[in-house]
Amino acid sequence: MVEIETFAATIRQYAPIAQLINEPDELRNYDVDGFLPRLVVIPDAVEQVAQMVALTNQQGLKLLTRGGGSRISLGGIPEQFDVLLETTKLTRLLEHEAPDLTCHVEAGITLAALRAQLATKGQWLALDPPDAEQATLGGILASNASGPKRFRYGTARDVVIGLRVVQASGEVARSGGHVVKNVAGYDLNKLYIGSLGTLGVIVEANFKLQPFPTSEHTILLTFLNAADAMQTVINILGSLLVPSAIELIDSRAASDMTDFFGLNLPTNGYTLAVNFEGSVVAIDRQLDEMRSLARQNGALLGDDLSGEAQGQFWDVVREHTQGSVTCKAVVLVSQVVPYLQAIEQVCRRHELEAAVVAHAGNGILYIELRPGDATSRLVEAITELRLHAQEARGSLVVERCPIDLKRLISVWGEPGPDFYLMQRLKQHFDPNGTFVRGRFVGGL
Amino acid sequence: MSITELSPPVSTPLFERMTAAKKAEVVRELSDLLGARYVLHTPYDLMLYEYDASIDRSTPDLVVLPATTEEVAAILTIAARHNVPVVPRGAGTGLSGGAIPIYGGIVIAFARMNRILEIDYDNLRVVVQPGLVNLHLSNALNPQGFYYVPDPSSQRSCTIGGNVGENAGGPHTLIYGVTTNHVLGLEIVTAEGNVVQVGGWTCDTPGYDLTGLLIGSEGTLCIVTKIIVRMVHVPEAVKTMVAIFDTMDDASNTVSEIIASGVIPAAIEMMDGLILQAVEADTHAGYPLDAAAVLLMEAEGLSEAVAEQVDKIVSICNKHYARSVRIAADETERQLFWAGRKNAFGAVGRISPEFYVQDGVVPRTRLPYVLRRVGEICASYGLKVGNVFHAGDGNLHPLILFDSQIPGEVERVRKAGHEILAVCAEVGGTITGEHGVGIEKQEEMALIFSEVDLRVMQQVREAWNPQQLLNPGKLFPMPGRCADMKEL
Repeated sequence: MVEIETFAATIRQYAPIAQLINEPDELRNYDVDGFLPRLVVIPDAVEQVAQMVALTNQQGLKLLTRGGGSRISLGGIPEQFDVLLETTKLTRLLEHEAPDLTCHVEAGITLAALRAQLATKGQWLALDPPDAEQATLGGILASNASGPKRFRYGTARDVVIGLRVVQASGEVARSGGHVVKNVAGYDLNKLYIGSLGTLGVIVEANFKLQPFPTSEHTILLTFLNAADAMQTVINILGSLLVPSAIELIDSRAASDMTDFFGLNLPTNGYTLAVNFEGSVVAIDRQLDEMRSLARQNGALLGDDLSGEAQGQFWDVVREHTQGSVTCKAVVLVSQVVPYLQAIEQVCRRHELEAAVVAHAGNGILYIELRPGDATSRLVEAITELRLHAQEARGSLVVERCPIDLKRLISVWGEPGPDFYLMQRLKQHFDPNGTFVRGRFVGGL
Repeated sequence: MSITELSPPVSTPLFERMTAAKKAEVVRELSDLLGARYVLHTPYDLMLYEYDASIDRSTPDLVVLPATTEEVAAILTIAARHNVPVVPRGAGTGLSGGAIPIYGGIVIAFARMNRILEIDYDNLRVVVQPGLVNLHLSNALNPQGFYYVPDPSSQRSCTIGGNVGENAGGPHTLIYGVTTNHVLGLEIVTAEGNVVQVGGWTCDTPGYDLTGLLIGSEGTLCIVTKIIVRMVHVPEAVKTMVAIFDTMDDASNTVSEIIASGVIPAAIEMMDGLILQAVEADTHAGYPLDAAAVLLMEAEGLSEAVAEQVDKIVSICNKHYARSVRIAADETERQLFWAGRKNAFGAVGRISPEFYVQDGVVPRTRLPYVLRRVGEICASYGLKVGNVFHAGDGNLHPLILFDSQIPGEVERVRKAGHEILAVCAEVGGTITGEHGVGIEKQEEMALIFSEVDLRVMQQVREAWNPQQLLNPGKLFPMPGRCADMKEL
C-alpha cells in the first residue's frame, strides 16, 4: 500500500488548492467510531472530489465521506480507512428557479444556509432533520435524515429530483434531472438516498421546493395514557385534518425538555403536539376540530404555540431524537401503543429508563435508553426491542450509541432475505471496496 | 394505436426466436405447471399480445396466465433453464412499448392475479396483486372515504403492476406525487426465480431503497407479484374550473404564474384547440370550439382552503386574459369536464386514423417556448399536432396525428417526436414524465444522459438481470438500432 505522504503529494499535484490535513493533532477531530483517517481531504470543487476518489481507488485505499459530521455516529463500526473526504466546501446554491419551485445545490451546503437563501424568495425545502446548522444536504441525503414534518411532506426520496454522484471510478454520473416529474431510466436517486456513502459520493442535488405556508400553528394536548393519545392520532389519520406533524412525547422526554430547554410541558402522561400549516381560516377550522377530537379522547388542552415559541419548541423536539443511546424503531401506527408497553416492560426488566419522542403519525419512535453505560443490559434490551418491532412489521436501528455498545450489537439489525440483491449492487458500484465497508447494513 | 411492424435490430439479436421443438418443450412444461388453458401459444391466441398502446409490435412465442407468486417463480425458473426471455404485461395500455416482447419468448399476463389481498384502514395500507385494475382499487376504498392517488388516464383498464413498472402518474399527481410516492413495499420474483420481499408495511426499512429503485424499472429487473400501497383520504371539497384562452401563450403563462404564486392545485391540465374540437365531437363536455387553449384545473382539500385557492386561481386566469373561467356547478358537470380530458386520446381517434404521443417534461417556466417549438417542428414535417397534457408539472403530451398508409409518414412522425424531445432536453427537461422509455425512447436516453450516466444505470441490470432474461432490449440505447435511427 502506498505511503500516505506520497498519496498526499499526488493529490496536491492534481488539486493544488484542496485542503489537506495530515497532522496527527488535527486528525483527531475526524474520529469515526475510534478510527482516525490517515488523511483528510476537503475539496472545493466537484471535479476535485472526482479526482480524489479516482486516486483513492487507483491506490487501493479506503475512503469515507462526511458532510458536517452531525450523523457520523450512524452506522456500524467501519473497517480501517485511509482518507476522509469532507464535502463542507461545496457550498454553492447553483440555481434557484423560484418560479418553477426547484433548486440545484452542491452537496456540502448546510440545511440552514440553504434555507436562508431559499427564504429570500419565500420558499423552503421540505426537510426538517435536526442540526440544520451543521448538517449538509449531502449528509442528510446519504443518511436519509428526516424530521417531524415528514408526516406531510415525506422524506428525501419525495423531494429529490436529481443527483450527481461521484462513482468509485471517479466518474461523475447524473440521475434524475431538473424537472419535477421524470421516469427516464432507473431511479438511482432512490438508491443513493440512505446508502450512507457506500455506493458513491453525492456532490450535487436538485430538489423540488415548497412555498412558505401563510400561517403555522401548533396545538399541545396532554393525555393520561398512551392509548388515548394514539387513538387521537388514528382518528386524525382517518379524518379530513391535514397536519404537517404529529409528535408524541412521553413524560421522561417531556421532563428532559422542561429541565434542559425551559419548555413548559406537563411531565405526567403523554403530550401530543400537532402542527398545522396553511391559510388562517383553514388552520382555525382544523384547530377547532382537533380540539373536539382531543376532548372526545380525554385530552387536557395545553398551550397553543405560534411564532418564535413554536419554532423553538420544534427545534427542541428535533434535537431530542439524539441522545447518547438512541434507537429509532418503526412500527405500524396501530402498534405504537403495544410497542410503548413493550418498551416499558423491557426497560423495567433490565433496570433501564426510556425517554420516547415519536413521529406518531408515521409510527416512528426515537427511544433514548439510559444509563448509556449499562452496556450489557442495553445489549439485551435492544435485542428484545428489535424483536418486538419486527413482530409489529417494523424495524429498529440504533442511531446513536457509545463505541463499546456498538461493538456488541448490530446497529441495523440482521439483514433480510433481500440482502443478496444489495450486495450485488455494492459489488457492481464499488468493486474494489473504495468506499469503506462496515458501516451500512450487513457491513456493506 | 398503431400497426407498424418493429424494424429488425441491425446488430445480432440478444435472443434468437425459439425453434418449434424448443417451443413445444416449453409449452409442455408450462402447461404441466399452470394447466393447458393458461398457456396460450397458437397464432390466433397470441395476436392480442403482440401490441400495447405504443407504436411498435412483436409477437410472443407464448403467453402464460399464472394465478400465484409460486407459479410466477416457477415460470421464471423454466424460462431461465431454456434461456427464453420473459416480459410482464398488465393491461397493455402502456405507451412506450414496455410490454412488447421484442425477441418473442414468454409474456406473463397478470389478468388472474388481480385481487386486493388486504386492506388496513387504521394504518392506511392496502396489499394488492399486480393485475388489479387501478380504478378498482379506488372503487374498493371509496365507501370508507379513501382512494389510491395515481390516476393515469387509462385507469379504467391499466393495472397497478403496470403502474409500478412504469412509475405511472396521472393528472392528480401534482401535489401527491406519482406511483413511487405511494408504494411502500413489493414482493418480487428475481431473474433466477427467487421470491423476495423488499420494503415493507412500515417506512424507512434499513438497507438500500430497493422498492424505490424497482419502481419504474419497466420490467427489466424483476417481476412484481405483490404491492403494498398507501391510501389517502378523499378530500372534503373539490372544485373544478375550466378557463378558456384565446392564445396558447396566455394559457401557459397562467400555469407558470399559478405555480410561482405558491398555489399548488391538485391538477392543472391543458388542452389546445385541435384537441378541444376532437373532444367536443366525442364527449360534448361544453368546451368552446374556437378557443386556442383550455385549462382544466382542480383545487381540493378542506373547503376553506379550496375556496381561497379558487379565488386566487381565477384572478390569475383573468390577469392573463382568460375569455372566461367556469367553475363546475356540481359533480355531474365536474365529471363531464374530466370525461373530456380523460377521453381526449380516444377522441383524437375520430379525427385521425392514428396518433403518436410524446411525454417530455420541461421546467414550467419554459412551457410557452416549448409549446411554440412543438408547433413549429410538426409544421415543418407537415404533421398536425394537438396538445393535451399535465401543464402543472410541465409534462407535455403532444399528439402527432398521422396515417401509416401514407408512405414515409411514420418516419416523419418519429423524426418530429425525436426533435420535440431534443427541445425538452435542451431546456433542461426530460424525455419521459410518466410513460417510460420502453422501446420508443431508447435512443433519446442519450439526449439527457451521458455515456457514464447510462453505464452506471446499466450496472443495476447487470447486477440483477445479467442475461437480460427479463424484458430484454429495452430502456437503454441499443448499439444496433442507432443505425436505423439515422436511416430515418
